[in-house]
Order: sequence, then C-alpha cells, then structure tokens
Amino acid sequence: MVHHAGASPADGKGAAECVTIGAVTATAVSPAEIEEIDEALSDDRPWVTLVWNDPINLMSYVTYVLQKLFGYDRATARKLMLDVHHKGRASVSSGTRDEMERDAARLHTYGLWATVRQD
Amino acid sequence: MSTPLDEDGDVAQGYYRQPDSFRRTRHGIELRLPRWEGSVLIELVRQLDRMLEPPPVDDPLEALVGLRDTAPPPPEDPALARLLPDPYPQDPMASGDFRRRRTDDALAHKRDAARRVLATVPGPGEVLLLDEEAAQDWLTTLNDLRLVFGTRLGITDDNYLDELGDLSPDDRRLPVIEMYELLTILVDNLIRALD
Repeated sequence: MVHHAGASPADGKGAAECVTIGAVTATAVSPAEIEEIDEALSDDRPWVTLVWNDPINLMSYVTYVLQKLFGYDRATARKLMLDVHHKGRASVSSGTRDEMERDAARLHTYGLWATVRQD
Repeated sequence: MSTPLDEDGDVAQGYYRQPDSFRRTRHGIELRLPRWEGSVLIELVRQLDRMLEPPPVDDPLEALVGLRDTAPPPPEDPALARLLPDPYPQDPMASGDFRRRRTDDALAHKRDAARRVLATVPGPGEVLLLDEEAAQDWLTTLNDLRLVFGTRLGITDDNYLDELGDLSPDDRRLPVIEMYELLTILVDNLIRALD
C-alpha cells in the first residue's frame, strides 16, 4: 500500500514555507497544516483510501489505474485488483485525511469507486 | 469487475473481431476508427459532455465569484452519481463538504478530457497519434462512457451480460449493449497499447 509520509520538500503544496531573510529563518505554517496537526493530536489513526468492487470496470483497467496513479508494479497492482474483485474492496493508500481525499478524487477521475475512512 | 473475454479467451459473444483500433508504435499510440465507430463516438461523447454540466449555483454572489458556499445536492441521475462517487457514504456532513469543494473541479476535469477527445476523433482513413496525455484523455472518457452505459443497463453483477442470454432482435436493450461492447473493446485495446 502506498503510504504518504507527508509533503516532501519538493512538493510545495501544504509544506511549511521557509523564508530566509539574511541570517534569520522564519517558518510559516499553513492553515492546512494546523488542521493536520489538530487532527493528529486528537486522533492519530491513519486514514485509508478504499477501492470497491463494481461490475463494470474491467479488471485490466483497474490494474492499469492502480499502477498509473500509485506507481505500484504490475504484480502488486494485480494483487490489489484481485482483492477488490474477490473481497469486495481493498485499501490502496494510507496517510492524512487530506491526502486520502486527493487520492480518492484522482481515482474518481479514472472512474474507480473510491471512498475514504479512518482505519 | 468484468473482463471482455469469455472462458475460451474470445471477445465477448456476439461481437465481431476486427484489427485493434489503438496500436502502440515507436511514435506513440495510433488510433484508427471505422467510419461508423467514429460517428457513433462523436455522438456519445457529445451526450457525455452534456451530462457533465456543473450543477447551478443558487446564490448570485457565489455564482459571480465562482465559489460555492453550500454543497450541491448529490446527483439524481444514477449514471452521473456513478461518475462522482461519494467518498464518505457513512458521513453525510463530510460527504456534502466534499461535494462543495470538489464537484465543480471533478466535472470540469472530465468535461475538458471529453472535449479534447471530441476535437480529435479521427475521420475515416485518418490516423490519430496520441501522446501520453491524450491517451489518458481517451482512456478516462471511454471508461466514463462505459460506466454511464453500464449503469443505464442496470449492470449489477459480474455475470450480467452472460445471464442475459440471446436477446430478440427487437429488444430495446440491444443497441445499448452493442455500444457498451464497442466501448469495452476500445478500453481493452487502449490498455493493451498503454501497457
């Protein structure tokens, strides 16, 4: 399963902005981060994105989308697809609630039936 | 989930074999469509485009600034609801908030892809060369159409089409099933070309 370990330095979105003025370094925390910190303090169980079985999407299509969106190798993507097919659903990623919403929205772009919940 | 092949590995019953429409070449993925498929696709993608109209924003000020303060209701059309799944089925508050923040973007994203596809459907004898981005537009648009047709047909389990058996030639579902199978072949072709 893909685990998001928070925003990487290369990914400006949601990351703390560091501004260096001469020798002074000021760190601004974005509202999204404060929300994330609040969430983490109140309940640190991770959130997950679930993909549900549906009778329309092709098996080959679901395997392809899991590879494309999460970078899984074909064997892992196929195993997750078969979990969805046989067990009715599978967790495909975990992380913060915001990250899981983004993952679900990306899966919806591809027509997969994805939901988000706390593990 | 479904598969376009029956147990013998043949394309689903009743569908004719034809050369792959999407083919991987060293320049990219090439698409060729027989005349009737091209014109059918143009019509289907136009219908999809109309379905993806954003829900109206009631408050004039919100409409003016292009931001929603209140969530649009869940789609009434089951086919549109299938294109916009509810990520919080157990939590109506979170679900409404998600719709407020995401519905317009999700529809615009699908609509933009559909319109790029519509603008590039190759005519008879033409070859469309798809780069990676265009291939994703085609893939998501063809798959969205499959979801719409599958939902309209009321496909609820993996064996639906097998269990239908032989339909009489005047069964009203027949043309819809033919469209659904055409879309199945195209999506399957494109995945093979992308892999």
